[in-house]
Amino acid sequence: MKVELYNYIRNAQKMNRRQVLKGIAAAGATAMVPKLALGDGHSNVRAEILKIPGVGAGSPTDSDWQKVGEMCLGDTKKNVAAGEFEGVELTFMGLNNQNLHNFLFRGFLKPWEAYTGAKINWIDLAQADYNARLQQSIATGTVDFDIIEMGAPFEGDVLGKGMASEMPDWVKEQIDMDDYVDYLKEPVGTWDGKTYRVSIDGDCHTFSYRKDYFGEGSVTGKEVPTTWQEINQISKDLVGKEDPLTGLPAHGYLDPLKGWGGFGFYFLENRASAYAKHPDSPAWLFEPDTMKPMVNNPAWVQAIQDVMDLIEADAYPADQINADPGTTAFSQFLAGSGSMLMWWGDVGSSARTSDTSVVGDVVGFGVNPASDRVYNSQTGEWENKRNEAPNMAYIGWGVYVMATVDGDDKKKKAAWSAAAHLGGKDLSLWASAYPSGFQPYRNSHFQFEEWEEAGYDRAYIEDYLGSNADSYNHPNAAIEPRIPGIFQYYSVAEDELAKGYAGKYESAQETADAIAAAWEEITDQIGRDDQIAVYKASLGL
Amino acid sequence: MMIEGDLLHTVTADHISDRRKRIGKTLVWGTALFGLALALWQFAFETGRVANGFDSWRPVLYAYMLWATALCASQVIVNGEKGKRTLFVLPAALFVISLVVFPLLFALYISFNDWNLASPNGPQPNGLDNVREMWNDAFYWNALKNMVYYVLAVSVEYIIAFALALLLNSQIRGRKFFRVVFLLPLMLSPVAVSWMIGKSMLEVRFGPISRLLREIGIEPSFFGSPEIARFMIMAMDAWTFIPFMMIMLLAGLQALPSEVIEASKVDGATGWQSFREVIFPLMLPVSVTAIVIRIIFKLKLADIIINVTSGGPGGATDSVTSFIFREYRDRSNVGYGTLLAIVYLILIIIFITMLLKIVSRWMERPA
Repeated sequence: MKVELYNYIRNAQKMNRRQVLKGIAAAGATAMVPKLALGDGHSNVRAEILKIPGVGAGSPTDSDWQKVGEMCLGDTKKNVAAGEFEGVELTFMGLNNQNLHNFLFRGFLKPWEAYTGAKINWIDLAQADYNARLQQSIATGTVDFDIIEMGAPFEGDVLGKGMASEMPDWVKEQIDMDDYVDYLKEPVGTWDGKTYRVSIDGDCHTFSYRKDYFGEGSVTGKEVPTTWQEINQISKDLVGKEDPLTGLPAHGYLDPLKGWGGFGFYFLENRASAYAKHPDSPAWLFEPDTMKPMVNNPAWVQAIQDVMDLIEADAYPADQINADPGTTAFSQFLAGSGSMLMWWGDVGSSARTSDTSVVGDVVGFGVNPASDRVYNSQTGEWENKRNEAPNMAYIGWGVYVMATVDGDDKKKKAAWSAAAHLGGKDLSLWASAYPSGFQPYRNSHFQFEEWEEAGYDRAYIEDYLGSNADSYNHPNAAIEPRIPGIFQYYSVAEDELAKGYAGKYESAQETADAIAAAWEEITDQIGRDDQIAVYKASLGL
Repeated sequence: MMIEGDLLHTVTADHISDRRKRIGKTLVWGTALFGLALALWQFAFETGRVANGFDSWRPVLYAYMLWATALCASQVIVNGEKGKRTLFVLPAALFVISLVVFPLLFALYISFNDWNLASPNGPQPNGLDNVREMWNDAFYWNALKNMVYYVLAVSVEYIIAFALALLLNSQIRGRKFFRVVFLLPLMLSPVAVSWMIGKSMLEVRFGPISRLLREIGIEPSFFGSPEIARFMIMAMDAWTFIPFMMIMLLAGLQALPSEVIEASKVDGATGWQSFREVIFPLMLPVSVTAIVIRIIFKLKLADIIINVTSGGPGGATDSVTSFIFREYRDRSNVGYGTLLAIVYLILIIIFITMLLKIVSRWMERPA
């Protein structure tokens, strides 16, 4: 679970010391129940680990992570004998964001190391250094790690170049891949039909809105919009009106108009996916046969035009041209500017815990808005039908084993066993429920009764995580291409969009054409044929 | 025993035989040829001309180190004590060459390559393609144009810094306190300045400066228009670095001969006349030094821009360095990014050389 979400729930539930003690007492009583009296092994473990350290009992520590790791070793023991990896040394490269990620992995894997006899060395990276470190390792052939924590967008860079080890069948069984939410199943995590990824996270953008802006008697007088057309109209209608909460000027949807190291492009994607992601085709950014960018087709141009229209209508807060996604989420939406936003999970969870947030009591969630019409790139025509396509921005973190272990069977089994332990079904439930940096990503994570029994507020969990679950399992989810250099495309698009939004291009079409031209250059530079092959493989074509 | 030459600094007699000299020279040339052969072999392997080779260039590096060691040793073998004296400098010189010249040559080579880190093909020599791309790159020329504005802003910074230096050089109350206070911005990291001022105080909704402006009826917008955004970047950079110029000028003012200034007063010069005719001319060498160093700092301006505007709106605040940063970090475009950096380096060298040439006549104090 994202840290902010955990803090939010903790604060929202306002658990006092007495309640915490009651929880601990209950946990103690449960521990005294004879094991035979409990259900099957998994449900017992799941219930037990959710009590470590207990909701509202403070943030988990290294000893908690080790306890959870120990209690979730059951599946490992089925496939690995005690001491089987004696003498094996593995190197794990991952992040150290917010003292999570690798810090948790260390704790989770300590009991695994003790049981198997393997030793793990750690490479900790800051998020900002991650891409550069990975790309340099790939380009210079200096892969000095055996296991890596990696986002799916980088699969093109790594899997596409044959640098990862294929997942053995016993790992697939151990981690129960059928339990993954739909969009994390094939082709995500696979390449040319082979599976490489142990998912440990899920990502998507969801719609956050201010409840006090909508409904009868509200400043808009309308219901919560569900299409981009409605959102655009409401945003224009709100010009000159007053925010019901702050008394400052009211605003509608908040588009970030400034780049964010490539990540800002996801936010234009949110708009474009409804127009451009046709249910009949998985492709919506490039044409699979030619890598010709689709970013200047009428669907994308419409998305850019929408933003330009809102700039023209003066519908954004002042200085929006200098607002990146961090600004729109944390300095604007949570601080009471604007009424609608698309973002990852952090926004909803920060609503009550952030010092600058004033919208905690009036925030609601939904899936990525739809469009009244969708562009069919295969026929080149608009189709007047409602289209919804949630944007699975970044796709989430996974654990991958590098091909460096393939020559050594013992080392390979050890690396995969470690990865499988981290992506285990039970352990992942704990990571979803407590601060870990990861969001739920399995269908079993959305069994709300488990959360309720563990002490969470059901209404909040259903509202907030429900929007994630609906997005994850959407049949027309928009999944980004897992091709080499995908963030290069995003980064250069941000630069061109910034020029377009600043009025340096004549039109949305000209802006889109400039992006397309820059993308063509990148494709040619990386190698068009290679990119086509990789793109098709990533789409599962 | 030496009977001629540098007798004063010679403490031992050197009777170096021809054989010993030959051994020394053979050592140097032998290791040099070995290193060269290894490098050529590895190059042939990398370009697919021979089937066998090393996984990396590391063995060639070891051969270079072997040659460097042999070169040092041969100085003593061939030249005796004179060689020992050379050894005081030679290892350091080789170290500098290794860390400056080699990387520069490598950068030069890379800048004529098509090398995107995401490409499976690695660096591919592409002649002058990168130069042509640069020539047609509107973002780069826009950044260069912005640099002209940024450099011109140094003149305003100089005036403010000079005024502050004069103030702190005069007999004002709390002079030492103000000297420390005025220096504080220089001690701050530009990144901290970006966040504290650019992203917090100037935050358009809840930043204190924005609130103040709103209170007096002005709707704040600090980064909305290209001109104002550029001005704000200049202002934040100036706030950080004016103390640097100020402290240099203050040091210059304190070193001025007091008799000359007193003489001007005795002759009846007003404060302004004294400044214009005496202090300013005497301060020219320090002023020029301060301005040149400040311009060099300014040409590297990037951190504030990256943090506050990312070069926007529409490239209005982009500096060459912040653009190269995006080209490198976000787009892994190593070949092209290196060429841009090399061209910028050449431009800086030409500009600074010309600047120094032009201002050289003011660099010496008038007699």
